[in-house]
Amino acid sequence: MLEFTCLLPLFTGIIAMFLPVRLGRGILVVTALLHLQLAVLGWLGKVKPALTGYFTVTPEGMLVLLVTSFIFLFISIYAVSYMSETEIASEPIYIGCTLFFLATMSMVALADHLVVLWIAIEATTLMSAPLIFLHRSKSALEATWKYVLICSVGIALALLGCFFIVLSMDRGNVDVPITFSSLRQVAGLLNPIWLKTGFIFLVVGYGTKMGLAPMHTWLPDAHSEAPSPASALLSGALLNCAFLGIYRGHQLMYEAGLGDFSSQILVGFGLLSMLVAAIFMFNQTGYKRMLAYSSIENMGIIAFGVGVGGLATYGAMLHLIHHSLIKSSLFLSSGNILLGYGSKLIDKTGNMARLFPKTFTAFFAGFAGISGFPPFGIFVSEILIIMGAFQQGWTVSVTVFIAALVLIFAGASRLVMRMSFGSYSGEILVDENLARTLPSYALLLTSIVLCVWLPDSLYQTIISAIATIGGGIHG
Amino acid sequence: MIQISDALLSLTLLSVLLSLASNRLMALVKIMAFQGIVVSLIPLFLEHNDGMAIGSILFLQVMLLIKGFLIPGFIFMAVQKIKIKREVEPIIGYHASVFAGLIFILISAYIADRLHIALPDEHVLLMITAITTLTSGLFLLMTRRKAITQVIGYLMMENGIYLIGTALAKQTHTQFVVEFGVLLDILVGIMIMGIILHNINSAFDDVDTALLGQLKD
Repeated sequence: MLEFTCLLPLFTGIIAMFLPVRLGRGILVVTALLHLQLAVLGWLGKVKPALTGYFTVTPEGMLVLLVTSFIFLFISIYAVSYMSETEIASEPIYIGCTLFFLATMSMVALADHLVVLWIAIEATTLMSAPLIFLHRSKSALEATWKYVLICSVGIALALLGCFFIVLSMDRGNVDVPITFSSLRQVAGLLNPIWLKTGFIFLVVGYGTKMGLAPMHTWLPDAHSEAPSPASALLSGALLNCAFLGIYRGHQLMYEAGLGDFSSQILVGFGLLSMLVAAIFMFNQTGYKRMLAYSSIENMGIIAFGVGVGGLATYGAMLHLIHHSLIKSSLFLSSGNILLGYGSKLIDKTGNMARLFPKTFTAFFAGFAGISGFPPFGIFVSEILIIMGAFQQGWTVSVTVFIAALVLIFAGASRLVMRMSFGSYSGEILVDENLARTLPSYALLLTSIVLCVWLPDSLYQTIISAIATIGGGIHG
Repeated sequence: MIQISDALLSLTLLSVLLSLASNRLMALVKIMAFQGIVVSLIPLFLEHNDGMAIGSILFLQVMLLIKGFLIPGFIFMAVQKIKIKREVEPIIGYHASVFAGLIFILISAYIADRLHIALPDEHVLLMITAITTLTSGLFLLMTRRKAITQVIGYLMMENGIYLIGTALAKQTHTQFVVEFGVLLDILVGIMIMGIILHNINSAFDDVDTALLGQLKD
């Protein structure tokens, strides 16, 4: 009954809606703990899904579930302290929706049926929209409106993509259940034209949700307007879930012998996202927007790595894990900064190194990590992607890739330096505390640990996840 | 039977062009209700659906109810309740919009022609209508300022998706996926609800997305 990973947060979410706030916070943390245990049990193969026609255990799905569950635990610990500092009119709604959000994301990770996956991704939009609108300001309303509208268009196009994929099955006179696992077994018989069309629509549709350029326009607004724990969850967990949808499509294409076609599309979207992020990074005024553009960049890197294939797929999977860890840590730190200075603008901050030493350490280390400095894991994953791309002969693309990385580092480091060491004359609103810095440290520390010591079972999971698209550690 | 479906298809095209040209919000809502009814009736008159299962007839009725009455009624309520100014406020003018609509028809004809290998003959017209509705819906969504018109554009796009589904579906599997398009209507409903609720809370003077222009780079 691995479905409990969806049912448990759903159930506790409903309960938390009706309970007093203090009790609700407790429920949030306890649910996160239980969910993590369930996810680990599922990952080790101790618990299996009951509805086998709709849900299944796949290595890539378990990877996403594990990452989601892990960062959710630390974000919920942070959220308890964050929520007591900010005045939010409807905190029970926040707690309930966060739990529903976790439930829908778990559903994405487990879904095997095309339509179930689609419904789950649509549900993530619905459940996370109230989180973005939490502060009820005009700009929050604008961000939510953009988010719901753009993602709805995306999800409609993804439905069309699912439809075309099923059509390719009908045209090929194949009669199997419409699940990814059974479609992959008969992939060679599917009608290639409709399969290609379906994949394009799937990438555009789920790519909207994943934040691939040029469909990324909702992402900076939503990430900057949502309260920081929600931004951390959006960036660290939701984007991975949308990526999982595209990854499943890519697996199908690979099995059908159309891997080259889908690879080119992924590499194209990946590079475009990185370039867009690089351009917008330069004159960024808000630090949360800066982090949001960095998420677009990293999603581009993952798409690029998966598209390149070979060794780079291994890098892409590592990148997915480490990006989630580091980026959610950064967003949590940005929550402290927002509480401290009371503004999202970079110009209204400064001298963080002296005023908020703990937050500064986490934020600066996170920035070093996300830019690809050792000892953080992104260093390894980016090197592997670059090596893999050279091995596979994507010389021009990898040149653009490296150039974009350099540009982004140049753009972001100027802003981070301004925040850390620039002058600041205003007053400090809320001081930092341990409950709001320890989760960031824990996430960063996990990234370091996973960089120097990757547990063998995790390594095997990654290897078997990438074997389905022809990736491997030996190129 | 084919003639009736052709007539319905041309009515759909007509409603698409009308919606691109309409400058009154109320007229636009009425056109959308009309389009919803016509679009949900089309599968009934298609040749390959003569021996329809009970389930799909029931589904057709549900579609008719949602697309033709519930959602347009809901939008109508929103327009009245929150006293939206009645003009549509386009970013691209009406004449240009209609011209764009005509170009979409041409492009759709070209695409449908290219797809010819995989399509039964009588469905080519349906395919042209479907792609035109889809693209015009997207166009409406992008070129109108008001939040409510964006929802209407989204609705039109959804009608297009439904038509593409009807044009191509021939077996139970594909039909099955098309039917899940109903869930998109939930999204539409939520968007309209958002519009209504926020105006009641008076967080907003006007439901105009030009005001939703504070966040940008």
